[in-house]
Amino acid sequence: MGVIHGEEMVLNIGPQHPSTHGVLRLKVKTDGEVVSDIYPVIGYLHRSFEKHCENVTYEQVVPYTDRCDYIASMNNNLGYAVTVEELMGIEVPEKVEYIRIIVAEFNRIASHLLALGTYGLDVGAFTPFLYMFRDRERILDMFEMVCGARLLYNYIWVGGVSHDLPKGFVETAYQFLDYFEPQVTEYNNLLTYNKIFVERTADVGVLPPDVAINYGVTGPNLRASGVKWDIRKDEPYSIYDKFDFDVPVGQGELGTIGDCWDRYWVRMREIEESVKILRQALKGLPKDGDVHQAIPKKIRPPKGSIYKRTESPRGDLAYYITSDGKPKPYRLKMRSPAFTSLSVLNKISKGWMLSDVIAILGSLDIVLGEIDR
Amino acid sequence: MIDDRDKLIAEAVEKGLQGDMDTINGIEDRVIRSKAKAALHKAKKVAKESGTGIEDSKEETASPVDENQSPNQIVFAYLEKKIPGSVIVQEGDLEECIYVNPSSWEAVSKLLRNDEILQFDSLQCITGIDIGEGILESRYNFHSMSLRHTIEIRIPVSIDNPKIYSIEQIWRIGDWFEREVYDMVGIIFEGHRNLKRMLLPDDWEGFPLRKDYETQQTYHGIAIPKVKEEWE
Amino acid sequence: MTVDLLYDWLNETIPFLSGNDLLLLFAILIPALMLFLVIAVNAIVLVYAERKVSAFMQDRVGPMGQGVGLHAGKWGMLQTIADALKLISKEDIIPKLADRKLFIMAPFIIFVGAFIAVIALPFGESLIVADMNIGIFYILAVSSFGVIGLILAGWSSNNKWSLYGGMRSAAQIISYEIPAGLSLVTVIMLTGTLSMQGIIQYQSGGIFDWIVFSSPFSFIAFIIYFIAGIAETNRTPFDIPEAESELVGGFHTEYSGMRWSFFFLSEYANMLVVNGVAVTAFLGGWQSPISGYFNTAGWGIFWFISKILVLVFVMMWVRWTFPRLRVDQLMDICWKYLLPIALMNIFGVGLWTLIFG
Repeated sequence: MGVIHGEEMVLNIGPQHPSTHGVLRLKVKTDGEVVSDIYPVIGYLHRSFEKHCENVTYEQVVPYTDRCDYIASMNNNLGYAVTVEELMGIEVPEKVEYIRIIVAEFNRIASHLLALGTYGLDVGAFTPFLYMFRDRERILDMFEMVCGARLLYNYIWVGGVSHDLPKGFVETAYQFLDYFEPQVTEYNNLLTYNKIFVERTADVGVLPPDVAINYGVTGPNLRASGVKWDIRKDEPYSIYDKFDFDVPVGQGELGTIGDCWDRYWVRMREIEESVKILRQALKGLPKDGDVHQAIPKKIRPPKGSIYKRTESPRGDLAYYITSDGKPKPYRLKMRSPAFTSLSVLNKISKGWMLSDVIAILGSLDIVLGEIDR
Repeated sequence: MIDDRDKLIAEAVEKGLQGDMDTINGIEDRVIRSKAKAALHKAKKVAKESGTGIEDSKEETASPVDENQSPNQIVFAYLEKKIPGSVIVQEGDLEECIYVNPSSWEAVSKLLRNDEILQFDSLQCITGIDIGEGILESRYNFHSMSLRHTIEIRIPVSIDNPKIYSIEQIWRIGDWFEREVYDMVGIIFEGHRNLKRMLLPDDWEGFPLRKDYETQQTYHGIAIPKVKEEWE
Repeated sequence: MTVDLLYDWLNETIPFLSGNDLLLLFAILIPALMLFLVIAVNAIVLVYAERKVSAFMQDRVGPMGQGVGLHAGKWGMLQTIADALKLISKEDIIPKLADRKLFIMAPFIIFVGAFIAVIALPFGESLIVADMNIGIFYILAVSSFGVIGLILAGWSSNNKWSLYGGMRSAAQIISYEIPAGLSLVTVIMLTGTLSMQGIIQYQSGGIFDWIVFSSPFSFIAFIIYFIAGIAETNRTPFDIPEAESELVGGFHTEYSGMRWSFFFLSEYANMLVVNGVAVTAFLGGWQSPISGYFNTAGWGIFWFISKILVLVFVMMWVRWTFPRLRVDQLMDICWKYLLPIALMNIFGVGLWTLIFG
C-alpha cells in the first residue's frame, strides 16, 4: 500500500483576516489541514518611523513612538524618554519616576488584557474577550483622566511627563485595583483552566529556550520558555529596583515548557505582578513636586550613540539613538520585540494544523504597528 | 544574611578555581554573582603569582569578570588575542563599541557565538547607519543570556562596495534584522539565503535611510509627498 | 393537522369542489406556508434571543432602542427585523469565478434540508404536518441532506476558505450523525416505534415517565444526542466549519445579502429540528410535566415550544462559554468517545429492558 500524497496548497492568510492582529500576511503551505511552511510577509503598516525621526526634533519623536506599539504607548514613551535621558544625563525628579512607573504598569495590564482577550478570541472563546475589554476600558478611562487620550498618550516626555496626575487619581487607581484583583480568578475560571482551552493550547507550538534566544524572542514569550530574563529585574531602569515583584516563568504546568498555554499563563501572572508593583508605587508616590522641572529647554544630546533596553509588555524594547549634537536625531532605530517574536513563527508552527497556527500566532502577541514601524 | 553571602561567594570561588563556572553563574542575585566573579578573579591572580594551580591563562586575561573594565574592553582584548588584526583600533574610548574588520567578521562572529567565555547567544539588534563620508556601518548589539553581559560591535564598510558577511545562520534572528538593514541602508550581507526587502515593497528604489537618499517622484502612479525640510 | 385531515375537512366545507385535485394542492400548500412562517418567526425570535443572551452573559445590554425616532424598539425587540430588512436590501454578490449555478443553488438546498425536516415535528397532539410511521428515521435522513448544500457552497465559491469550511463541515456532520442516530436507537428500542407521535404517546404521564428519566442509559443517550446535536448545527464549541478566527466565514465567506441570510435561517431551523427531536424522543414532546394537568391541545404547543427553548438556551449558554475545538479533537470526541459510549448504551438499554422491563 502506498501513501497517498495530496498536492500542497498555498493559502494566503491576511492582510485582511480576523486573526492576524493587524495587517500581517502569512503565506501558508498546507497539506489538507496540516501546515508545512509559513512565510510571514510584513510591511503593510510601514510608516517610515525611523525616517521621520531623522526629520523631527527629539521632542517631536515622542508622539511617533506612541504609534509604534499602539497597545502599550506608555511603555514606548517611557523607553524613549529613558534612552534620551541617559544619553543627555538628565536626572528626573522622584515624583516623575513614580508617575511613569504607575502609568507604564497600568498600560502593561491593559496590553496583557488585550493580548489574552484576543487570544481567547483566536481559539474561539468570545466571552472572556469582552470581560477583559470591560476591565481594560477602566484603565483607559484612567489614562483619559491623566492625559486626555485613550490610546495614543504622548504622556511621558523627555525629562518629565506632560501633566501631573489629576486630583482623585490615586483613589480611582486604588478602587480599580481592589475591583480588578478578584477578576483574575474569574478569567482563570472562565478561560485559563477550561478543558477545551487547555486542549487547544497546551503542548502546542512549543518554543524551546535555546531556539527562543537564538531567534531573539524576549519578554513573556521568552519567560514562558523558562528563561528568567526581565529587564525590570536584571537591568533596572527608572526606579524598578525599588519594587518587590516576581518574574513569572513558564513551568509547563499543563503541558511542555514553552507551549502556547505557558505563554498565556505567564502574561496572566504578570498582570498580578503588575498589580503588586502598582500598589507599592501608589503608596510611595510623593505628594509634592513639579513634574516639569527637569524638562530641558532644548534637547541637544552630546555626540555619541546609545542602545538602551526597556521592558515593554511584549519584551525588550530598545532604542538605538545616534546623536550628532544637533536637535534632531542622526539615526534612531527601534528594536521592536514583536518583530523578533514574529520571526520565530515559521520555526515553531511547522507541522501543526491551520487552527494551531492561529493559536500560536495569537500566543506570540504581536502588534503590527511595532513590527512594521 | 551577610555571613550567608560571604559563604556563598567563598564556595563559588573555590568551585571556580577548580574550573567549574556553573556555580558562579547559577547564583541568582546579580550583586552577589558579580562579587563572586571579582573574588574569583582575584584568587586566580594570587594563584598565578604564587605559581600554583590554574594554568588556564586565557580565561584569566579575558574573562569578563574584572569590574574595572567594561565588557567592550575585555572582549576587545580577547578578540585581538584570539584573531589578530580582527579589531580596528579607533580613537575615542571603548565604552561605546568595538570596531571589527569586515574581512575577519566571519571568524569573529563564530567566536562570539561559540566561545565559552563570550557566549553571546542573543543578537539584540542590528542597526544600519550611514555615517557620512562614504561609509556605512552595521552595528550589532549582542547580549549573553547565560553570562549576562552586552557589547556593541560596529563594522564599517565603504558605500561603494557595502558587503558584510551574513551572520544569519549563526543567530537566526539575524535573518530578519539583516534584511531590514539591507532594506533601509543597502548593506549587502554575503551568504544570506533570502536577502530581500523586509518592510518596503520589493520594487522600491533606493535605500531610504542613506543620507543621500532621494525620494521617488511616484510609485506605481501614486505621487509620493515630500518630507518637509526644516520642520520646526 | 396532517395533510389528510386537512383534505377531508376541505372536502366537507367546500362541497362543490369535492374530489378535486386543487383541494389536495391547497391541503399541501397551507401547512407548507405555515411552516415557513414558523421557521421565519423561529429565526427572528432566536436571533433576538441569542443577541440578548450573549449580551447578558458578556456583561452588556445587547440591542436597545431608546428615545424617539428610528430605533429598534423597546429592548431592541425590532432589531432582528431591522437586520432582515438590511439583508434583503443588500447587494447580491456572486464572485466572477464562482460556479454560478451551484453557488445559487447551495443555500436553497441547505434550507430545503432544514425545512422538510420540520414537517415531521409534532407541535401538538394533532398538530403535525405528516405523522409518518417512520418519522424519526425520516428526520435523521433528511437532516443530512443539508450537508450537500454546505459542500456545494464551499466548493462553488471558488475560495480556499470556503473549501476548507465545506470539507470540514462535511466530515463533521457525517461523523456526528452516527452517535446521534445510535442514541436515538435506544429510544426506539424502548418505545418500539419509529413514529414521532408514537414515541410521545409512550411517554404519557408525568415528568418521570419521560424517556430521559426512565433509565440511566437513556439519560446518557440524551446527553450524547444533545452534544451531537450541537455539532450538527455547527455551533461553538463545534463551529469549525465557519470558525471565524480561522476560516474568516467558512463555507459562507463569499455569500452576501439574502443568500447569506438563508444560511442563517437554516442554522436556526436546524436548531429547531435538532431540539425538537430531542424533546420528542427524550423529554415527552408536548406532554405536560405534571400528570393530568395542563394537558389540553393549547398547553401541548406551549410545552413543546418551551421545552425546545430551554434546550436552545443551553446551546447558547454553551456557545458563549466555550472555546472552539480543533478539527482532529472534534473527530476524536466523536469516534473515540461518543460512538463507543453510544454502542455500550444500546447494550445497556437492552439489559435494562430485559431485567426491569
